[in-house]
Amino acid sequence: MSAPRTIAAARNDGLRVYAQYDGDFEEEADVLVVGSGPSGAVVAHGIAAAGRSVILLEEGPPFTPQDYEFEGSLSMARTMREAGLRRTEGTILPTMQAIALGGGSLVNSAICVRPPAFIFDQWAEFFELEHTSREVLDPHFDAVEKFLGIAPTPENVQGRRNLLMKEACDKLGYSSEPIARNVRGCKGSGECFTGCRARAKQSMDISYIPEAMRLGARVLTSVQVQRVLHEGRRATGVEGQVVEPLTGRPGHRFRVRAGTVVLAAGCMATPVLLQRSDDLANRSGQVGRNLQFHPGVAVAGIFPDVVNPQFGATQGWQSLEFLRDGFKLETLWAPPPVSAVRMPGFGKALLERFHDLPYLANWDAIGSTHRSLGTVKARRRGMKPRLKWNFHHEDVKILTHALWVIAELFFAAGARKIIPGVMGLPPEMHSLDDARVLQTHPIKARDLISAGNHAFCTTRMHGDSSLGVVDEFGRCHDLDNLYIADTGIFPRCPSVNPMFTGMALAHRATQRILESL
Amino acid sequence: MSVLIVVLVLLALLVRRAFFGYAKPDREFEILVPREVALIETTAEVMFPAGGAIPFSGLDADLPGYADRFLSAIEPGVRRQIRALFALFEHVTMFFPAPGWNGGKRFSSLSIEQREIVLQGWSSSPNFARQLVFTALRAVLTMGYLGHPEVLRRLRLAPYAFDSPIVEADLLYPKIGAHPDMIALSEEDLTPPSDGTPVDLEGPVHHLYAETSQEVAESPP
Ligand SMILES: Cc1cc2nc3c(=O)[nH]c(=O)nc-3n(C[C@H](O)[C@H](O)[C@H](O)COP(=O)(O)OP(=O)(O)OC[C@H]3O[C@@H](n4cnc5c(N)ncnc54)[C@H](O)[C@@H]3O)c2cc1C
Ligand code: SF4
Repeated sequence: MSAPRTIAAARNDGLRVYAQYDGDFEEEADVLVVGSGPSGAVVAHGIAAAGRSVILLEEGPPFTPQDYEFEGSLSMARTMREAGLRRTEGTILPTMQAIALGGGSLVNSAICVRPPAFIFDQWAEFFELEHTSREVLDPHFDAVEKFLGIAPTPENVQGRRNLLMKEACDKLGYSSEPIARNVRGCKGSGECFTGCRARAKQSMDISYIPEAMRLGARVLTSVQVQRVLHEGRRATGVEGQVVEPLTGRPGHRFRVRAGTVVLAAGCMATPVLLQRSDDLANRSGQVGRNLQFHPGVAVAGIFPDVVNPQFGATQGWQSLEFLRDGFKLETLWAPPPVSAVRMPGFGKALLERFHDLPYLANWDAIGSTHRSLGTVKARRRGMKPRLKWNFHHEDVKILTHALWVIAELFFAAGARKIIPGVMGLPPEMHSLDDARVLQTHPIKARDLISAGNHAFCTTRMHGDSSLGVVDEFGRCHDLDNLYIADTGIFPRCPSVNPMFTGMALAHRATQRILESL
Repeated sequence: MSVLIVVLVLLALLVRRAFFGYAKPDREFEILVPREVALIETTAEVMFPAGGAIPFSGLDADLPGYADRFLSAIEPGVRRQIRALFALFEHVTMFFPAPGWNGGKRFSSLSIEQREIVLQGWSSSPNFARQLVFTALRAVLTMGYLGHPEVLRRLRLAPYAFDSPIVEADLLYPKIGAHPDMIALSEEDLTPPSDGTPVDLEGPVHHLYAETSQEVAESPP
């Protein structure tokens, strides 16, 4: 293996941005990876580290701090697909996917949680998996943890908003802990969703990808892969078009050939890519099916004294106490306009509520809602997915239980009122007694103001090739050299934030790919 | 024949009442047309009124400017949906009049009291679809209002000022749209990474959110 090159050499030989494409082109490598999110970046790095040639293709551009936008909606319009306004049909659930070098890691809160052993045991049991347990995956989690410096959020950047949840959990006797994140030197600016100006968050664009480039990886940005090329049981490459950053305007065409093709375009994009490629890898009929989310609900608590919610790690504290009941509790902060969007009313009453923002903490629950299923389908034209999803009434109960628990926590911590964000219920509740309506009122799916930014299972792994798209190592059952490495391969929702699990599985898949080269 | 003429005349009158006679805005917008500017301003006036808990009204916050930036930044399909929402809001009072004298006008031509009643109707409607439409419109305006530097400063929620360290990635990637040759940094320019010192809560805010020297001069001591 040759010595790592300088960063300048990596840039000159390894990176292509939109301004550099001046005609149609073709490239070739041992391995090509579509998608530079957490999963794809881990694969590209692992292949490069082994001295094999690898090309990473990403539709979005790299974002520099100069490109970040503080204002929440404008930031989402730039960094997210469909301007951050994507939603499912059926039950309407807003859901986002990034379009940027680094994928979701650029704009997420960097939460890294290993699912407890019982989650993997359920996966193994229901999906006939022999090599997927917490014990087997721990070395892969360890490797990623070490590389990214994943560690619990230190106390000095927690801020009051996060520590109030600790206080509340302690009072009610619930276990809780600081959230472990892929962050080095966090300043507690609470800006993770719009890009980390402190360059503390180890998003893929500043961690795995530069290191992969030093090791020889080539990275093509602003390229939209539109089709996987294939012959018999072999994928031979991909083709697509250059797209202008932010507008998506199509440009030159390209083709990349490779001995092994890895799709890590995200669980709402990879199925579309396969469907656009003659319904590739779909003998099981499972491509694009089983779409699952962790739908989240958030409650705002207003305290008597100032919380200064803009200070502190965006999401710094969590409780896994209720994981077996189907939900995980976390603290949350988003830019003020986003945090306030759920506030009810208008006019002077609304301004009064905005005035409460400095006294506010937001806490949320994400649900393990594996009965609520959906589909991802290609539309007649383009690569935009059509999403359908239905919230199962039993899963709705999980989240209404969570809302009650959050209400309990807020009042235990001394909140003077809460804003539960449930349509059809009082917009504000001033005591736990007021909040009891959360337990008694029959809350329906459409009453919940919910969002689902964790998505999975659309190309699920299964030991039985007639019931899943890939095996445990991410290799498509139907092809010898086509792998999938994004969260679509999860057989079921992981119950905790998915990025770390996606990276651990990608790390394991990389070893398998290298063995096959 | 004469019935047809009457219908056509009525239709022409309706179209005129619905789409014409808007004042020309005092500046150019990339996307918004005068009808949308009027709707946004007149809604903002009621949504975030003067004399409320935040002494900076929706009219002060240049929400048409924000909406124009937002609509320019999003893809055409979503943009069409949001503009359809604006059109619905602006014209629905012609078919379901607001109470009071001449309540059958477009929203932006109603009196401030009538607009308040109309918004109240939308916001408290038991009809799910109406609530959804209202929530969507309020969301767009709230984003603009609470994104305004003056509002954030008054709430003490403006982003903090601090220097971004220069890391290797800054030597790799140019600003969006630029050529890598434009990167003027080299390895000598790298700075130590963030040491995890928390942002200074009492410190200055980011320069985009700081009061301009003119505002400082004008503001009361
Ligand atoms: C706001 C937000 C906050 C979140 N917070 C957390 C958190 O704190 N912790 C956590 O664990 N999870 C979090 N998540 C979820 C997490 O970010 C995702 O689960 C994770 O990014 C998935 O990684 P991935 O590699 O599978 O896909 P992605 O991150 O979606 O990466 C896929 C990449 O492929 C690219 N791509 C797609 N189609 C094409 C194509 N046709 N051609 C070329 N490139 C293509 C995309 O642009 C994207 O960059 C959050 C998500 C959001 C939206
Ligand atoms: S809280 Fe601020 S400093 Fe910390 S990782 Fe997030 S954006 Fe970076």
